[in-house]
Amino acid sequence: MTPRLRLIIFLLACIGLMPAFAHVAMRMPSFGAHPLPYGETINAVATKERHVTNMVSAVNFDYRGFDTLGEEFMLLCAVTGITVLLRGTRGEQTSARPGVLEGRPIRPRSEAVMLICRIFGTLTLMFGIYVALHAMTTPGGGFQGGVIIASATLMIFMGETYRGWRRLMHSEILDAIEGGGATLYALCGFASMVAGKPFLYNILPLGTPRDLFSGGLMLIENAGVACAVAGGFAVTFLEFLEETRAEKEDPE
Amino acid sequence: MNALLTVLLLMTALTGSGVALTRTPRRQVMAMAANGLVLALLFMALQAPDVAFSELTVGTAALPLLFLVILASIRMDRSPRDGDKQGPDKP
Repeated sequence: MTPRLRLIIFLLACIGLMPAFAHVAMRMPSFGAHPLPYGETINAVATKERHVTNMVSAVNFDYRGFDTLGEEFMLLCAVTGITVLLRGTRGEQTSARPGVLEGRPIRPRSEAVMLICRIFGTLTLMFGIYVALHAMTTPGGGFQGGVIIASATLMIFMGETYRGWRRLMHSEILDAIEGGGATLYALCGFASMVAGKPFLYNILPLGTPRDLFSGGLMLIENAGVACAVAGGFAVTFLEFLEETRAEKEDPE
Repeated sequence: MNALLTVLLLMTALTGSGVALTRTPRRQVMAMAANGLVLALLFMALQAPDVAFSELTVGTAALPLLFLVILASIRMDRSPRDGDKQGPDKP
C-alpha cells in the first residue's frame, strides 16, 4: 500500500465518520459541566463521615479502598515482572561500574552540579515526605509522595554519578520497603476483619478534620501505599539503570 | 473557559503534535517530557492537583528516565553473550 493510497483511504474514512462525530460533538455537555452525582455526594458527606478534607484520599483509601488494594498489587506485580525479566537476561550480579561507550567518556560531575543536586535532592525528598504525610488534608497522597521520594533518589544519580548512586541504593532494602508497604495495606484490611467488621472498614478513631492525623485507618493505608510506591519506583529505576552498567564485575 | 485554559489546551495540542512529529527517539523523549509538563499544568488549572502531581512526577521524571536508559542500553548493545559478535563495548 503506497502512502498516497493510505492517505486517500484515511480521508475517505474521515468524511464517512464526520456525521457521527458531529452528532456526538454537538450533544456533549458544555465545558466544565459534569452531570455525574457521585463527586458532589462525596464532597457533601466525606468531611462529616470520614473527618478528612482531601476527598480524593477519602475515595482512594476508604470508600473505594478495595480498589486501591488491587492497584497496590498491580504495581507490585509490574515491578516484580520488570525485575524478573531484566535480571533474567542480565544475571543476578551487580556492579557499581558504569558502562562506557567509545567516544563518550563519563566526565566527573562539576562541583556546581553536585551542589545543586545535593540541595534539590534533599528538598525533593522532604517535599515527597510532606506530600505523603498530608494526604488527608491537602492534595497529594501516598502515591504522589512515593513517586516524588523515588525521583529524589534520581537527584543522587545526577549529582554523584552512577557509582555513588549505586552504592547508596540497595536492592534488598528497597524490595523490603516495597513489599512491606503492600503487606501493610493488606494487613489493614485483615485488622478490620479481626475486629469483627468488613474488610478495610475504618476501625480507628477518625480524629478531628483538618488535623494531620485525621482519617483513622486511612493514615496507615496511606503510609503503606507511600512505602510501596517509593520502593517500587526506586527498584524500577535501579533495575533499569543496572542495564547501563559495565558488563564485568567491579575489580576491587 | 478562560484565557489560561485556552493557552494550556493549545500548548497541549502543540506539544502532543511535537511528540508525534519528532523522529529521533532521544528528542522524542524530551518532547514527551514537555508534553507531560504541559499536561500537569493543565490539570493544575483544571483544579485537579492530585492528578497534576502524578502526571508531573511520572510523566516528566520517571518515564523519560526509563526511556533514556533503554536508549542508552540499546546503544551499548550488550546482548551477544553467546554469539560473540563484536559489540561496541567489547575490546
